[in-house]
Amino acid sequence: MTDDTELDDLRDALRDFLSARSGEEEVRKLMESEPRFDPAVWAQLADQLRLPGLAIPEQYGGDGFGLVELGVVMEEMGRALLCAPYFSTAVLAVQALLLADDQDACARYLPDIAAGRVTATLAVTEREGSWDPARVATEAREQAGRWVLTGRKTFVLDGTTADLVLVVARTAAGPALFAVDRADLRRRPMTTLDGTRAQAVVDLDAAPAVLVGQPGAASRIVSGVLDVASVALAAEQSGGARKCLEDSAEYARTRYQFGRPIGSFQAVKHTCADMLADVELAEATAREAARLHDTPGFPAAAAAAHVYCSRAYLSVAMENIQVHGGIGFTWEHPAHLYFRRAKSSQLLLGGPAAYHERLLDRLGI
Amino acid sequence: MVEDMSAFTDEVRGFLDAHATRKPGADAFRWGEGDDRVSYFSADPPEVEQAAVRRARDWQRVRFDNGFGWLTGPPEYGGRGLTPLHDLAYSSVEAEYDVPDTGVLSVVGLGMIGPTILRHAQHAVKERWLPAMYRGEAIACQLFSEPGAGSDLAGLRTRAVRDGDSWLITGQKVWTSVAHLSEIGLALTRTDLDAPKHRGITAFLVPMDAPGVEIRPLRQMTGGADFNEVFLTDVRVPDDHRLGEVDGGWSVAMTTLMNERATVGNDGVDTVTAALAPDRLAALLAATGTADDGAMRARLAELLADLAAATHLNNRAARKLRAGVTPGPEMSVSKLTYGRNLTQAAHLVADCLGPRVIADTGEWGTYAWTELLLATPALRILGGTEEIMKNILAERVLGLPKDPSIDARTPFREVRQS
Repeated sequence: MTDDTELDDLRDALRDFLSARSGEEEVRKLMESEPRFDPAVWAQLADQLRLPGLAIPEQYGGDGFGLVELGVVMEEMGRALLCAPYFSTAVLAVQALLLADDQDACARYLPDIAAGRVTATLAVTEREGSWDPARVATEAREQAGRWVLTGRKTFVLDGTTADLVLVVARTAAGPALFAVDRADLRRRPMTTLDGTRAQAVVDLDAAPAVLVGQPGAASRIVSGVLDVASVALAAEQSGGARKCLEDSAEYARTRYQFGRPIGSFQAVKHTCADMLADVELAEATAREAARLHDTPGFPAAAAAAHVYCSRAYLSVAMENIQVHGGIGFTWEHPAHLYFRRAKSSQLLLGGPAAYHERLLDRLGI
Repeated sequence: MVEDMSAFTDEVRGFLDAHATRKPGADAFRWGEGDDRVSYFSADPPEVEQAAVRRARDWQRVRFDNGFGWLTGPPEYGGRGLTPLHDLAYSSVEAEYDVPDTGVLSVVGLGMIGPTILRHAQHAVKERWLPAMYRGEAIACQLFSEPGAGSDLAGLRTRAVRDGDSWLITGQKVWTSVAHLSEIGLALTRTDLDAPKHRGITAFLVPMDAPGVEIRPLRQMTGGADFNEVFLTDVRVPDDHRLGEVDGGWSVAMTTLMNERATVGNDGVDTVTAALAPDRLAALLAATGTADDGAMRARLAELLADLAAATHLNNRAARKLRAGVTPGPEMSVSKLTYGRNLTQAAHLVADCLGPRVIADTGEWGTYAWTELLLATPALRILGGTEEIMKNILAERVLGLPKDPSIDARTPFREVRQS
């Protein structure tokens, strides 16, 4: 879809769908249940909107679109706080498979993912939450021509529900990527700051695994996945941030104190203007980075988008509560849902210490 | 359409090949080599400035005589009748060539005053001044701000009183860029003290060599004098040099200011942009022994992300423009961001340099940064203060209500002044 009108059509279709199927009431129900998504909605996302396979090449049953289209989807999902294993499946796992240079693995897993029959995730992080494969302790051993994995993965997105878990584990040749079936894992849900995004502890006890790509390739694969994931997450962050801005502006226009709308006071007005600047810049950063996919400037643009959008979303989500005042601090008001999502997204791929260095690394500094 | 543009681009290349040379390929940056000046304001000695102005006028004349001086202007006043897309295409090709900087003509005169004259002036004035401006013969300045009217521009007090077929203007203007180099100035004056402030203003085009115009340089906090104060004492201006209706000057001013907001902050100053490139900043950290300092690295990463975001926003606006869509809030956000980013950058660099930025050791690329450091406060003020920009964004884009104001409905002579 090179045409902006087609992107707008995609956005409109998705916004309609999500306002019908992922309204605030639905989100609140799902964030306190297990699993934290509605399989019926997931099936519709796949059957009606073909979203899991959006960025999967046509040869593997997907629609072969790129990061620009994926960005539109992520913006809308971020706006609606959709509870679904989309980021883990369609971004992390799909990108890991595509970047592994392993046609057999792609042919085996991607068509089921594209069809919505299988959800998947990528398990890199362990106790310290690092996305650096070099720091992975989980071990892979080869026994009679078969691989088995032993270790504990933590903070695994949608780890309790994923049918397919792609695990990074150490081999003699360096960290490698493995596919593990859900039946061969033990997992338990973690209590999360952001209830709309499920995380799990996954235990592997000599779990049978299939090598994906070459032994030692995981550092390269994860690095590439993080670039794409940074842009997808940035889009989700900018979508959530824009919703916060709209809510604040609406409230500032309609809430009266001292006999006038609070938005006529410059202290409130300027806060809203700062939010607008943050949102415009976040959106531009996420969208332009997506357009640069597969160009030499992409890794740096992706890392910069993650830095910018993480800070911008958090700031806008905080100010959204401030503009609303007391009502914004209540459980009933949705402002805290965005605040939780914003803080959790900022820290999801390693947090400031990691993303600052990732940007400098991508710029060769 | 695409073919049209490539034919045009070929024509531009043909012109530039005949009249200019291509820029040499940029060498990789090496610490300690080349010009280390990083300045937002020029602060050049008069003879250097005069020579630069001559080069600018000459190059603009060459552009004009070859049909590239005013691409979007109507042919009857010397324009080519083309679109803003042609403007963009021309600039992007010209950027590959080593040509004189024409900012002294273009930023205020051609960028802001030209469009205002075209929209509001009488035919004779357009005929007299527009070709001259776009041919580099007439530099124009903006006689708007006053000591008592900055953010509240409509509170201006320079008086214009009718005297037969002409007007006598008296008052004081301030922060006037390029006034000392200008042939004409667009002045806002008070013509009705009994009307509310926005409804008693009239705009005139003032020949800067008219008797009663006195220009004094205004030294700003950087130490240089990039602006002027302009004193007007019974300056006689013919009525045909009035722009818009009598007492209808506010809408004239709006035309100018809309164009100002489109100009400030979108591209920035070349030397500053170059000095803030990632490799240059990395070299600075290395040279100052801060390359492994975690706090500095974090600040650098945040700054580079901010600069990237601003670039993306500008690219997005440019692409909208190319697609024929008027950019939305991007321009105002861009201006707001430019000041913030440069401020952040100047302080990061200064903090890396430490003592070498508070006392000059003579070392290359160190104390030179004080010029930018001292310029940054201006970027949050000029072309509309941060506070005014935020009001505009919140009111026009987010639809927040205006501050209930007393002075907009009161006869001007009753409005309290400082």
